[in-house]
Formats: sequence, structure tokens, C-alpha cells
Amino acid sequence: MKLLIHDLSKEDFNDLLGTIEGEIKIIDDNSTIHNCIGCFGCWIKKPGECVIADDYSNMGEYLSKCNELIIVSKCFYGGYSPFVKNIMDRSISYIHPYFEVRNNELHHRQRYENHFEMSVYFYGENISSKEKTTAEKLVKANALNLICDIKNLIFVKDINSIKELEGVTL
Amino acid sequence: MRIALVNGSPKFKNSASGNILNSLKLKLQDKNIIEEYSFRTTEISNDDLDHISKCNVIVFAFPLYVDGIPSHLLRCLYQMEKYLSSNINSEIYVYTIVNIGFYEGKQAAIAIEMMKNWAEKANVKWGQGIGIGGGGMMSMLDKSTDRQGPMKSVHNALTDAANSILSCKSSDEIYTSPGIPRIAYKIGGEMGWRQAAKKNGLKTEDLFIKK
Repeated sequence: MKLLIHDLSKEDFNDLLGTIEGEIKIIDDNSTIHNCIGCFGCWIKKPGECVIADDYSNMGEYLSKCNELIIVSKCFYGGYSPFVKNIMDRSISYIHPYFEVRNNELHHRQRYENHFEMSVYFYGENISSKEKTTAEKLVKANALNLICDIKNLIFVKDINSIKELEGVTL
Repeated sequence: MRIALVNGSPKFKNSASGNILNSLKLKLQDKNIIEEYSFRTTEISNDDLDHISKCNVIVFAFPLYVDGIPSHLLRCLYQMEKYLSSNINSEIYVYTIVNIGFYEGKQAAIAIEMMKNWAEKANVKWGQGIGIGGGGMMSMLDKSTDRQGPMKSVHNALTDAANSILSCKSSDEIYTSPGIPRIAYKIGGEMGWRQAAKKNGLKTEDLFIKK
């Protein structure tokens, strides 16, 4: 299964939909999402599940069942948009609270044995070179923490450009 | 000088960011006006925006969430960017202190870079970034001045930041790790998770539940 997280409007998403192939779970903004409150309930109260009762409490489970994570996000300061970051923050049930050393740094252990590929498409009219550099570091760090491989990391000015990218199929 | 201390933790109380700002506050001279803000939600009031925009210095303290800025704070920062970029007071200096649950403060470098990018868009001056590892130990950073124990490096970093703030200057980033061996931090942290789970009626093996 592919897992697609995006912050697009319905119109933009429908335009993009034609380029998506295969079984896919789509996570979009229905305006009900709550922010992570740092309670760690997803580790110590209901392990594997966010304790905040809204439509976004099962992100860890979705990640555990995907073979490709696709993120389409407006670029904010070299990172994800607030909605996409909200989803990432609410996804830490995917990993385990215990630590292990990777790259000579402490990181969290895996809860699941799953291993997926990650493709990130940042869009925005005025993404600066500094923001691109930051975003590249961010995606690498995410891949290290989620223990996944980076398949694509692409910057486009507007979302329609994704459809025109050669060799890229969502 | 007017200094705004902004706590970007979503927690109501006992946040590591709050502990850090309390410690920093003690290092700032009495003659300064310190204003304290808590950005727990996704929106800032116009009154707060107005007050903050009139400060000489803004200090953000927040926890690292998934290699970056917590989403609720990101929404606030976007709101601030729009307000500040049209503000005539572009002489505001911004300092950022990121605490992280991992041992190595260096893992906060990407979030600090994002804050630098934000400062550029908000048309304010960058002061300094501090990345503090061992966030799970910040409750030890109380109002005492423990200059020899495991919090020594944090106190030193905050003293350096306070000096930069008081002279409104830009300084190099500082990254700290707690003054205990990494293996001890790992063992202590994992013991803490087991105890917390037990308090919630769970067993150690429940920590490994898969959905």
C-alpha cells in the first residue's frame, strides 16, 4: 500500500489524482486535526496509537502497512507545511520509545519490521536555496528516524509541475 | 531592553522549554523588561503579536518534534512572519533554544536552520541557536545554579546565550549533551518509559504492541 500525505486543495488534488497508481491510503486535511500535545500516550498509554480522538490517531499503523510514503507539501522554512508537520508529529506511534545507536547518535528503535521508501514533493513559488538545503537535511533525518529509504526528493514551483516530471509516478 | 520569552511547548506545565526559559531568565539582568508568552495553541492573539513586535529580542524555546518545529508552533510562526515582515521594527533579534529527547543536542541543528530561514522571511535579525540534548533531564534544571553537575553544559550554553542577548549580537550555534555517559542516559530513559507504562496499568511487553 502507498500512503499519501498532502496539504492540497480538493481541486489541486483531483488534478494530481490521475498520476497516482496502485492501492493508496490518502491523508488530507479535513480541518479536524488536533496538534500533538507531547503526552507520549502513544507509547505509554495506548502503545501504537495516538490517544487524541480524531481522524488522525492511526498514523503509526498506516506507516507500518505502507511500502511507499508519499508526501506532497508546501515548503515552509525548509520544512513541511503546518498540516503535513502535524501529521508527522502525530505519527510517532510508528516507532518505539526505547533507544538504539544509529549513525553514532541515539535514535528510537523500530516498533515494526516494516521498511518503506519515501518520496517527498515540496512545492512553493519562492523556495530559497537555503530552504532547499534545509529540506534536504530534513528528509534525510526523517529517513534515518523512520528507518526508510529516500526514493524521490523534488522541489517544484507549482503543483501541476509534478504531473510533468518525467519518470515520476505517484 | 524588552525581551520576549516564548515557550513553544504544547504542555500546560512542567515543560522542559519552561525550565530552560526559567533558567535563562535568571541570567538576564534585572533592568530589562521580560515578557513571557506561551504558544500552546495554533494561533496568537493580535494583542500578543503587537506586544512581541515591539520587543528588542524574541527568545523561542521549544521541543524538537520529528526533526523539526512542532506543528502548532509552525502555525504561530507563519502568523508572526506575516505580521513582522510588514513591521517597521526589523531590528528585532531572534534567539532559539531547542531541547530534544535524544542525547545529542546536535540533532536540533535542522530545526535551528528552519528558524534561521523563518527569521529571514520575517525580516528580523538572527541572534543564536542553542540545541540542548537530554531533554528528559531538564526537570533538573531548576532555579539553582548547578555549575558542576550533569547540567553544567546547559548552564554554560544559557550563560553564553544570555550574554549574546544582552548585547544584541549574533553568535555561533551551541549544541550540548548532558554530563552523563550516553549509555547511562539510554538506560535511565528506558527505565523511565517502563515506569510510566506501569503507572498506566501496562506491562513492559505492552510497550511493544503492534496494531
